[in-house]
Amino acid sequence: MDLLEVENLTFTYPLCASPAVRDVSFSLKEGGFTVLCGPTGSGKSTLMRLMKRELVPLGEKSGRVLFRGTETEELPASDSARLVGFVAQNPEQQIVTDKVWHELAFGLENLGVPQPVIARRVAEMAEYFEIESWFEKSVAELSGGQKQLLNLAAVMAMDPSLLILDEPTSQLDPIAASEFITTLKKLNDDFSLTVLIAEHRLEELIPICDRLLVMDGGALIADGEPGKVIRELDGQEELMLAMPASARLFRMLGAGGECPLTVREGRRWMAERYGIKIRSLPDEPHQNSGTKDVPALSFKNVRFRYERDLPDVLRGLSLTVYENEILCVLGGNGSGKTTALGCAAGILKPYAGEIRVFGKRLKEYKNQSLYKDCLALLPQDVQTVFLRNTVREELEDAGADPAELPFDLSALYDKHPYDCSGGEQQLVALAKVLAAHPRLLLMDEPTKGLDAGKKRDIAAILGKLKASGITVLIVTHDVEFAAATADRCAMFFRGSVISAEEPRVFFSENRFYTTAAGRISKGVYDRIVTVEDLAALCRMNRLEDGGAPC
Amino acid sequence: MRSLEDCNPIAAAVYFLAVTGIAMFSMNPCLLFISLCGALLYFLVRNRSRGAVTHLWMLGLFLVLFLVNPLFSHNGATVLFILNNNPVTLEAAVYGAAAAVMVLAVLYWFRSFTQIMTSDKLLYIFGGLSPKTALVLSMGLRYVPLFSRQAAKIRHSQTALGLYKDDNLIDRFRSGVRIFSVLVTWALENGITTADSMAARGYGSGRRSRYTIFRFDGADAFLLAVTLVLFGSTAVSVGSGALLFTYYPSIQPPAVTPLAVSGCVSYGLLALVPTILEAEEKIRWTCLKLKI
Repeated sequence: MDLLEVENLTFTYPLCASPAVRDVSFSLKEGGFTVLCGPTGSGKSTLMRLMKRELVPLGEKSGRVLFRGTETEELPASDSARLVGFVAQNPEQQIVTDKVWHELAFGLENLGVPQPVIARRVAEMAEYFEIESWFEKSVAELSGGQKQLLNLAAVMAMDPSLLILDEPTSQLDPIAASEFITTLKKLNDDFSLTVLIAEHRLEELIPICDRLLVMDGGALIADGEPGKVIRELDGQEELMLAMPASARLFRMLGAGGECPLTVREGRRWMAERYGIKIRSLPDEPHQNSGTKDVPALSFKNVRFRYERDLPDVLRGLSLTVYENEILCVLGGNGSGKTTALGCAAGILKPYAGEIRVFGKRLKEYKNQSLYKDCLALLPQDVQTVFLRNTVREELEDAGADPAELPFDLSALYDKHPYDCSGGEQQLVALAKVLAAHPRLLLMDEPTKGLDAGKKRDIAAILGKLKASGITVLIVTHDVEFAAATADRCAMFFRGSVISAEEPRVFFSENRFYTTAAGRISKGVYDRIVTVEDLAALCRMNRLEDGGAPC
Repeated sequence: MRSLEDCNPIAAAVYFLAVTGIAMFSMNPCLLFISLCGALLYFLVRNRSRGAVTHLWMLGLFLVLFLVNPLFSHNGATVLFILNNNPVTLEAAVYGAAAAVMVLAVLYWFRSFTQIMTSDKLLYIFGGLSPKTALVLSMGLRYVPLFSRQAAKIRHSQTALGLYKDDNLIDRFRSGVRIFSVLVTWALENGITTADSMAARGYGSGRRSRYTIFRFDGADAFLLAVTLVLFGSTAVSVGSGALLFTYYPSIQPPAVTPLAVSGCVSYGLLALVPTILEAEEKIRWTCLKLKI
C-alpha cells in the first residue's frame, strides 16, 4: 500500500469559474523524495493544502486523498496532525511561541503528550538539528534560515511519516537554502521520511529528488524521474528557466544522451560532445562606456553600527555608483548590504564617513527633498510599502501615473495588495516607488521568493528603467540574476566592498561565488556567465559535424 | 546549592516576595538597614563595577526622599530649627531617612528581581494556572516585539518613499495613524499563516499538556523551606509588635527582647541568602577548577 494516494482530485475555490486543481491523481511511496514544480498560480499550493486535512481550503472538492488507505477526513484528529507534517513559505509567521524550546514542544503539547516524553523528544530534535546552542534563545534573535530550520524541527518533533513543504526556501538566502535542503535530504536518507516539496529554485533540489511532478493550469502534466521529465517536457519555457544549468544546457543544445543534472554531470556531458577550439565568445563593446565618470552615489569610508557597544556593521565602506548604470552588490547574510542601502537612503545615520548623492552630501538634502525626484528605496519586505485596500488606491495615493510605468498593472487594479503574488507585489511596490520620479533607485533583494519567469520580467523592467536614465543599485544574493542584469557587480564582505567589476570579469574570476554556468565551463571556456552564453559557445565548438552555429 | 538565578523560578519568586514583603510592612530601622545591606550586597556581587549609573540614581533618590519628609511633615517633639516659620523636627528627619532606606532597599531587590526573572521564568510561574494561559502569554511575548519591529520597518519604507511631505508635526501624526492601520492589516493577514501553522500541528485537537525547561528538585525545596522558616520567624516578631518602632511624637525604640533579637537575626539571614548562594557557588567552582 502506498503512503499517500490522490485519486481524481478536483478543487474549485468559491466564486471561481475554473477549478484550481483539476483531476489530479498520483501516489507517493514511503521514503520517496518528490519535487512538485510549476509556474506561479498553477495550483501547487492548493494541491499541497488538500493533502493536509487541517489546511484544506474552503471550496468545492471532489475525488479522494487517502493516507495509508484511509481518507484523510476520517483519520483521528491527533493522527492527522502528527503523521502529516507541513512547512510553509514564511519562516517568521509560522512560529507561534517566543522561545526556541517552547516552539519545539508546541506540537507535542497540543497532542497532550506527557512532559517527560516531550522532554526527550525535544532534546533529540535539538541534538539532530544542531540547535542546542540557541535552544534557550528568543525566536526574535534567530536569522531567517534558523527560523525555517526551527519550523522544520518543530514539525519533526511530532514524528510525521509524510512531510509536505510549500516553497520552504524561497525566503532564505542561498546558503541557508542549501543547508535546509541538505537537512531534508538527510531526514529522507536517515529515517526514510517521505518528502513532497514544491519550490521555485530547483538547481539543488532536482539532483537529489527521485521523482518530479509538474503542474500547469491545475493539472498534473508530467510525473516521473527528473532526467526523463526534463527531457520530455515541452512548451514550458518559463519552467525550464528554473531547472539546473546543466539540464538547461542539455535542452538548449538538444544533443542527446542522458540529461545531466549536476555541475559534474554537466561538465562530463559537455566534454564528450564539444571541443575547445574557440575558448570564448567574441567581445561585445562595453555598453556603458560614455557615462562612466559621473558618480550618482558615493560612499567614502562609511562606518556604521546599530548600537554604541555593538561591533561595526559597515567598516569603512567605499563604493561609487556611476550615473545610468545597474550595479549589483552581492554578499552573504549579515554582511551589511541592507544596512548600506539604509545609510544611502538616509534612514540610518553612519557615525563616520561621507555619503554623497549626485554630488551633494546627504545632510544637505533638507526637508525630505532627498525623496523628491532624487532617490527612492524599494525595501526587501515590500508589504511595508502598502497602505491601501486596492492596488488602484495604492497607485493614486502615491500619485503614480500608470501610463508612465514600463509595465502593465491594469489586471491587478481591484485586488488587495496582499492578495497579489510575490512577483505582482514587487511590481506594485516598484510602481509606487517610481511615482516619486527617482533618478537613483535602490533595491533590496528584488528577486526574493520569485519564480524564474518573474525574475526575467524584473530584469527586463530594470533594463527599461536604465534606458530612461535611472541609476540602479541592487543588493542581492541571487548570483544568476546579478549576472543577467548588472553592468557591474561588487562583492560585499565584512562591511566593505572587496571588488567591483563587469559581470563577465567578476564571475569568471570568482571560483565559488559564481553562476552554475560559470562552474560548468570553468577551465574549459573563458568568461562564461550565463547558460545562454555557454550554449552559444558550445554550438560553435560542435565536434561531430563541425556545423555552423544555429 | 545553585545560585538564585539557576533555581526554580517559583522558589526564587517566593524568596523575593518574602524579603521585600517584610521591608515594606515594617518601619523598624534595624530591619530596613539589614534589608538595604542585603539587597545592595547581592546587587554588587552580581553586577560588580557595572551599574555605577544605577547607584548614582539611587543616591539622588535617597537624598530627595530623606529631605522631603522633614520639610513637609512637622510632627514630632524635638525641634531642630525653624525654617520659614515651620519647625523642622528630629523625628520627621529620622522617619524620612527610614522611609528612604526602605524605598532604596525595595528598589535594589527589584533590580535583581528583574535581572533574574526573565520573561520565560515569569511565564513559567503564571502559565502554571493553565496550559492555555501559558500559550497566550508566550504568544503575547512574541508578538509585542514583533509588531514594534514591523512598525519601524514600515516607517522606514514610507520615509524612503517620500510619504512624509514635510518635517512637521501634523504630518508625522497623520503618518503615524496610517502606519498603525497598515500594521493592523499586516497582523491580520499574517495571523492567518500563524493560525494555519498552529492547526497543522494539532492545536485544538484535544487537551494540551505543558512542557517547561525548569525543574523543581531538592535544592529548590531546601531554598523554599529556608525562605519560609526565616520569613515566618521574622513575621512572628513583626506581627507580635516586638519590633514596633515609634517615631511620633517622640522616638521610642522597642525593648531588646529575645523575640525582637530573633526577628532581626532571622531577617538578617534571609537577606543574606542569595549572596551566600552566589558566594558558595563561586567558591565551590574555584575549588573544582583547581582540580582540573
